Amino acid sequence: MTSQPRAFFTLDFGSSTTSVAIFGHVGGRWRLIAHSSGPSHFDADDLLRGLMAGIADTDPALLVEMGAEEDAGVDSLVETWPRLVARTTPERQIAVIAGSRRQRRRLETAAARAGWIVVGGCADEDDDLVLSRLLLSSETTAVLLGADRTPGGDERRHLPDLVELVAAAIKQRPELTLVLAGGAAAYESDFVFVPQTASASGGHPGQAPSDNKTQEREADLPADEAPPQTKMQSRKTAKPPAPSDSDVDVDADVEAGSNVDGVSDAGASVAEDDSRFEPDSVEATVDAESVANAEPDPFITAHLPTTSGPIGLTFPAADAPAAMTHLLLAPDPEAGLLPGDALQEVLEGLRALPNDSRLGVARSTASLAYVLDRSVQTVEIGLQSGLIARSDTYGQGHFAVKSSRTCLVSGSFAPASPSEEVIDGVLSWSTMALDRHRAIDRLNDIRLLPWSEADGDGAIFRLAAAKAAFGRLIEAMPELAALASPELVVAAGGIFASLPPAVVSLAVADLVQQPGVSQLAVDHARVLGPLGAIGDEDERRNLLANVADDILLPLGALVTPAGVRPGKTAGRLRLKSAAITSEIELHPGAIQVVDLPPGRAAHADIEFRDNVRLGKRGHRFSADVGGGLSGLLVDLRDVPMRISDRPDSRRAALETWQRGMWPEVDE
Amino acid sequence: MSGIEVSGIELSDHGVSAELARIVARPMLVFSPQVRFHLAPGDRTFVSTGDRVVPGMPIAERTLDPELVDAGRVGGGENVRSRSSARSDAPASADDSIARDQADRDPPPIADGVSARRLVATSRSERRRPPEPGKWWMGGGERRGKPPKSKNPVRVGGTLLFESGGRWRVAAGERHEVVESPVTGVVVEARNSVGVTIEVAGAAMPGALAAGEPSRGYLDVPRLSDGELWASALDVGRSGAIVVAGSRLSGQAISRARAMSIRGLIAGSVGEGELRDLEASELRQRASLAPSVPFALIALDGHGRRPIATPILALLAALSGREVAIVTDPPLLVFDAAEVPLPELPPDWIRARSGPHAGREGRWLRSAGMYRFRSGIHLEGAVVRFVDDADPTTVPVADLERFVF
Repeated sequence: MTSQPRAFFTLDFGSSTTSVAIFGHVGGRWRLIAHSSGPSHFDADDLLRGLMAGIADTDPALLVEMGAEEDAGVDSLVETWPRLVARTTPERQIAVIAGSRRQRRRLETAAARAGWIVVGGCADEDDDLVLSRLLLSSETTAVLLGADRTPGGDERRHLPDLVELVAAAIKQRPELTLVLAGGAAAYESDFVFVPQTASASGGHPGQAPSDNKTQEREADLPADEAPPQTKMQSRKTAKPPAPSDSDVDVDADVEAGSNVDGVSDAGASVAEDDSRFEPDSVEATVDAESVANAEPDPFITAHLPTTSGPIGLTFPAADAPAAMTHLLLAPDPEAGLLPGDALQEVLEGLRALPNDSRLGVARSTASLAYVLDRSVQTVEIGLQSGLIARSDTYGQGHFAVKSSRTCLVSGSFAPASPSEEVIDGVLSWSTMALDRHRAIDRLNDIRLLPWSEADGDGAIFRLAAAKAAFGRLIEAMPELAALASPELVVAAGGIFASLPPAVVSLAVADLVQQPGVSQLAVDHARVLGPLGAIGDEDERRNLLANVADDILLPLGALVTPAGVRPGKTAGRLRLKSAAITSEIELHPGAIQVVDLPPGRAAHADIEFRDNVRLGKRGHRFSADVGGGLSGLLVDLRDVPMRISDRPDSRRAALETWQRGMWPEVDE
Repeated sequence: MSGIEVSGIELSDHGVSAELARIVARPMLVFSPQVRFHLAPGDRTFVSTGDRVVPGMPIAERTLDPELVDAGRVGGGENVRSRSSARSDAPASADDSIARDQADRDPPPIADGVSARRLVATSRSERRRPPEPGKWWMGGGERRGKPPKSKNPVRVGGTLLFESGGRWRVAAGERHEVVESPVTGVVVEARNSVGVTIEVAGAAMPGALAAGEPSRGYLDVPRLSDGELWASALDVGRSGAIVVAGSRLSGQAISRARAMSIRGLIAGSVGEGELRDLEASELRQRASLAPSVPFALIALDGHGRRPIATPILALLAALSGREVAIVTDPPLLVFDAAEVPLPELPPDWIRARSGPHAGREGRWLRSAGMYRFRSGIHLEGAVVRFVDDADPTTVPVADLERFVF
């Protein structure tokens, strides 16, 4: 079906929250017009009708500009306008079986990072009865049997027995999906009775929905009315010859889904034009709804070209069925740009729905990194799991994007059956005194009723739970420590969207402990997931280039120096903007806030007393920073954060910092 | 209270405005739910797909403390030579396999004619089919190539796991425990080592969580003081009952109930600590040689202390004395009764399920739209008047629930 929409809806059906948004092509570009969200039992169409009625009441001309006929009713528009739908994939459990403990850990790491609930065993440590119990559990939906590409002696002697054991379990439970990774794939012939056989090559179920997989509604905008995208496209197609570091030996089976954007699921092609964003481009304006009358934020706004050209938006089917695969051959757990990447990709594809919301967020993050030409780190914390995704541009002209991500079940703010470590994490971030049993009960209650008591003490407890989840996600992605601090940190997920912006900034400062200067933003309309469901990378980039400043609510900037020594003063900060110049003294151990409203850019000159690290080591630093709802935060608590291990002292320190950023907390 | 036939009731919450519909609807009853009984390697089923089951009918047998046994070479007809080894196996996938299995079960715990006829019709040759994963196996030391040391060698039973190098590994044990169905229904799926799924015939009340072993008993609704039941009220006179125990279960109440052979407890909430105590108690009981009666508990709201909602309490009071069952997956209180007396409720009757007003009930007045609540958090609110309050209160919509049948 081909049409020429000038507006569309995005819907994100999360496990606890339903979010909807309206995008329209107005004023010559795509804009986020309105958004709303509520508990998952809210009817999405009802939310959309409410938003549309609000637009119809306040600015009916806007509806006409978005393509609505003058006599069209709200109900008919809600029914007929195209939709981008993302959905949280229900939790699934995988049983990881290996010959050795070493291999088991690798496999478990890859599976856990792919978002699976992981139960595992190895022949070294567990007897066949224990392993059978894992496989025959009715909770288990898939089995991962893996070995090194060339299994060592410790694995090789166990593999024949493990293959027999797994084959027997699959005969009893033919609904299980089996993944043979690395050297275990050599035993494929032992599973000839498994109904379907597929390999990870040629795409996997978790790839972005694309035109050869699902029914789609294709919409090509008229050239004269479409947003200007020619240069965006030309930039995308201007990919230079692949840099040498992209020639890493990745298993051919998973190249289609590799994490190197532009040569992977993005499907980007090499072309001739090497033009890039030019200074003559115009700047997009900020979200009219959320930051009314604010100037464009130069730190999250894409530079848009002025020329016009056609843009196609392809809307995948709202709910494509999950892929049915019973036997998958996958690379070994060491394959990939980062060890385990390739296997993780295959397992993600096996687990997730084609329009999975979290994978959508990861895809949107990669597209944002390209569009904004900066490193982007997104943290999304939900009820069923959490995601941390990092994308960096690299290579000559920054035409390629390198991405990595971790989607972790334990990254949920309220994981099922919380372990002692989870409770320790929550208690360590809580500013309320709680005994362990009460903390477990509260966490379990949030699991049952995710929107319960979202105000008052409940909000404080949720913040602690979210920080603990954030910490678990960062722990699960150790490669972040080797990277420079991200230039843009995006917080996503309902738990962040419901908290005051300054508190979210503080949470990011508490957890993103990397020396450097970062811009902070929130995906306040929760549209990164649905926009990631756009299968075509070009289209997604084009659209994000239009709406980046609308969908990312600027929180401000964060300056995090490392190596600040205790003392009376740490140095001075001088902030120069077009309107004012302010200067403050910096105090070690504090988190200091300088007012810098959204849309304002400023130049910060910082002079430290000590030799500190802020990207590089030195005393004097200069950085351009952007404003936001919480202003400029200078975190002088050192990296790692200097805080007492004693619970009472730690709680008091956290409360002091929190109270400074959240004065309404006692209301 | 008015007696309304369940099958004829209008289930939709018609007449509810869009604003009121934003308050989550809590179904007081669900009909014909499917319940699951999990099995593990070494466990076998006594039923197969399509069988009708009634309360008390054996549906499975669990092997307590199974161990990995090397059964050696297992022939197709070898097992059936001894009466004790004529057992079922796990159907791989096909229904005919399930039918074959049914014939091999011993003793035939058959309560309906269909299964009995199937048993008779099964030929001897079918019983001698070759071993396969999940098939029931029974043997002693001599079956594993060891000479018998005594005249009465220890016999172990369990299910075949897999064959490696021509030798079968088995999950087997000496002690077994029969699992009886606590509900009436039809078997949807039954697989050795995996589980049994039954579609319940009747209605059930959903709970937030349940623990223990599925159990059945008569419903006992004692008088609660301030929504609580003192542990001392759980005496031997309530043996065999499923007792409504008030807003929250204590560890003491659970221990006492088990000691008094009470079959189950129903409460508004139960803490994680009490659940862990129960789990430990179950393990101890299982490890002991004394047979135990199944015991289960169900919390209707969750973990934080909340009194049982008055409409639910009224429904339970109306069912007092009838046979009910607690099943744990999903957490349900099952009534086999064909007719369930439903309380009459106005559609705008609401209850605070969380937050500072948790447990209070009243009437919904109107929507408050986006509202600034404690700590400066903006949430969609509703204006309600709680019972015994003269003034209306604004509460986050997400903290409220309303009841639907």
